[in-house]
Amino acid sequence: MAKEMIAMLLAGGQGSRLYALTEKLAKPAVPFGGKYRIIDFPLSNCVNSGIDTVGILTQYQPLELNEYIGNGQPWDLDRLYGGVHVLPPYQKAHGSDWYKGTANAIYQNISFIERYDPKYVIILSGDQICKQDYSDFLEFHKAKNAEFSVAVMEVPWEEASRLGLMVVDENDKITEFQEKPKNPKSNLASMGIYIFNWDILKKYLEEDEADPESDNDFGKNIIPNLLRDNRQMYAYHFGGYWKDVGTISSLWEANMEVLDPEHSGINLFDEGWKIYSRNAGMTGHKISAGAVVENAMITDGCRVKGTVKHSILFAGVKVEAGAVVEDAVIMGGTTIKAGAVVKHCIVAENVTICENAVVGAMPTGDEKGVAIIASGVTIGENVVVGPNAMVNNNVEGGEVQ
Amino acid sequence: MIKSSTNVIGIIFPNSYDALVPELVSVRLMASIPFASRYRIIDFILSSMTHSGIDNISVIVNQNYHSLMDHLGSGREWDLVRKNGGLHIFPPFAEKKVDGPYVGRAGALANLLNFLKAQKEKYVVMSDTNVVVNCDFNAMLQAHADNKADITIAYNEQELPKELLDYQTSDRVFYYTFDVEQGRIRKVYINPKTDGVQNTSMNIFVMERELLIDLVSNAYMQGRSFFMRDIIMPQLGKLNVQAYKYTGYVARISGMKSYFEENMKLLDDYNLDALFAGAPIYTKIRGDNPTHYKDGAKVQNAMMADGCVIEGEVENSVIFRGVKVGKGAKIKNCILMQDTVVEAGANVEYLITDKNVTITAGKEMKGTDTFPVYIEKFKTV
Repeated sequence: MAKEMIAMLLAGGQGSRLYALTEKLAKPAVPFGGKYRIIDFPLSNCVNSGIDTVGILTQYQPLELNEYIGNGQPWDLDRLYGGVHVLPPYQKAHGSDWYKGTANAIYQNISFIERYDPKYVIILSGDQICKQDYSDFLEFHKAKNAEFSVAVMEVPWEEASRLGLMVVDENDKITEFQEKPKNPKSNLASMGIYIFNWDILKKYLEEDEADPESDNDFGKNIIPNLLRDNRQMYAYHFGGYWKDVGTISSLWEANMEVLDPEHSGINLFDEGWKIYSRNAGMTGHKISAGAVVENAMITDGCRVKGTVKHSILFAGVKVEAGAVVEDAVIMGGTTIKAGAVVKHCIVAENVTICENAVVGAMPTGDEKGVAIIASGVTIGENVVVGPNAMVNNNVEGGEVQ
Repeated sequence: MIKSSTNVIGIIFPNSYDALVPELVSVRLMASIPFASRYRIIDFILSSMTHSGIDNISVIVNQNYHSLMDHLGSGREWDLVRKNGGLHIFPPFAEKKVDGPYVGRAGALANLLNFLKAQKEKYVVMSDTNVVVNCDFNAMLQAHADNKADITIAYNEQELPKELLDYQTSDRVFYYTFDVEQGRIRKVYINPKTDGVQNTSMNIFVMERELLIDLVSNAYMQGRSFFMRDIIMPQLGKLNVQAYKYTGYVARISGMKSYFEENMKLLDDYNLDALFAGAPIYTKIRGDNPTHYKDGAKVQNAMMADGCVIEGEVENSVIFRGVKVGKGAKIKNCILMQDTVVEAGANVEYLITDKNVTITAGKEMKGTDTFPVYIEKFKTV
């Protein structure tokens, strides 16, 4: 039985710009928004859009991601035929290869895709926060009789030269692709979300693989090759919330935007488009007498006795009496002890910040650094961690800049 | 050591003591009463069983069980979707020969004698759901084996809740206390009206499956329905009925007042930690987002579930999933169940709202600690 469209989710990126957060964790597994991980967004989008078959291409620190995805049940992706599958590179009769590039990752899984005999394949990216109805995108693709469509966002012109841009005609047909150009001819940035007709995609993947000079990358190789051959290529305008969370500051920003759904456009309270996640299975959270909680998102298992302002606490975070958390993203299982002050930073999972330590600082002038503490680290009593610091190891005393 | 994962079946009676909380069970049964901000009472006994390795569990429902079926689903949340065993829900008339909705525990069991005979496990653990515990049944099973008991019944030492003492004795609600001599139950008191700490039955039973089948078959033929009164009590001399003293945290729901108090007790970290000290308690996942405290929120001493939006003041309260508290609203000493909406400026104290209740803007409603006001499901005030 053929599937109309299946999704292939590129989750292999090392996420090296997230530094401390991705040292032991694939980027799509990075926690986000209080009880989610980045990958919950594309997976939930798939299910909400009626896509029930998703391949996740991963090769970097897959352990936690594998465990998180499991059989796909939290996303309703435990299906008899289809469902979610994690696809690492594997040994074949003629040797094995790491995924050389995004296109190669799909190439190595052609046989997976063919099991479902799809008409269309949507390529998704595992490092974006976005609520998008892919079925609308597919309707567009069909209506245009396209062979390839890419979702694009209008961006401010001054940012355009940092991005991959689609130049289109009046019918949104793509005429040119510019990768980080000095002189942008368009302000339509590629979101890295593509719909291909499967026969076309397969043909170009095979061609690309045969070319030893190729980087095996969608942006660098596949899309330029499609253009060269004058394929039917269209740009689909997406107007909703979309954020690449590939850097510490953008990840922090996106989390803060969750606290302001009225203005930012990222509303997690949308009953019509739920984002699903694997549940931590903890008790309700507890705000004690004497605690101060202002504009914060707090979830199961948290115990708050101190002050939490404009922050997000993930499952099981403890904020002791007299501790202050402000403008901060505190991931699951972390404890902030009495008198500690934690501001304008990201603290990863299972961190202990000891009594009277200071982590991060509110921005002053040009100083807008977001401090980051890696998972499992202990920050000792009275330690001061500066606003630009990146802490990977335990700190017993003194200052870290 | 008994390996319970292969050798014990669990049986749960979700309707027992429904009569004590008539308001709360008008749309459900005891087992599915919301508790502790994100659970249903049955979650505790089910999770305790699964954590003890019991993965063949039967729930014998009597009436009003739609909410429970909805909650349990396939049993996936408790890891009870299994090829062998798993979760079974037995509605009335589950087996052909029974002539109506059952009365009493023995009556309920008579409903599934054929099922019981077909199982392979050696032991049975049976429980009601009105006693909230997070317990390891392996300890009790071990004690049962060590004592060479025929039947072991768990009890805790506590004062009888006032509601039980005040309850007009009926022929449908029975609670029990024990005289225990060197671990053996010598005498069972039905509906005693005695003050002070006593050995109060938790109605958790361990015995061999074969014995249960024998006892129930005989009782059924003689038209006797109540397991403790009609089967155990007459045979205390003949059977070795052991008492198992449970020392963990116990929340006993005996009426609206104790329901209110047992929820409120969990606002004390000591009690909360005691109840949740063991393995995690599983429940049906709703997939709510985290709770959002907006500007203007002021929260003191509250237990909160996910999915809430709080813009007003909340004090000494237990708040379930998806509750909305509007700007300037004041909530004090309340239990607000799922999806309750308290609109802006409303002021409520000592209130128990059932699911989907709306308190409209500016309303003022106050109960007292001895008599909290209860508002039924879907009502708008």
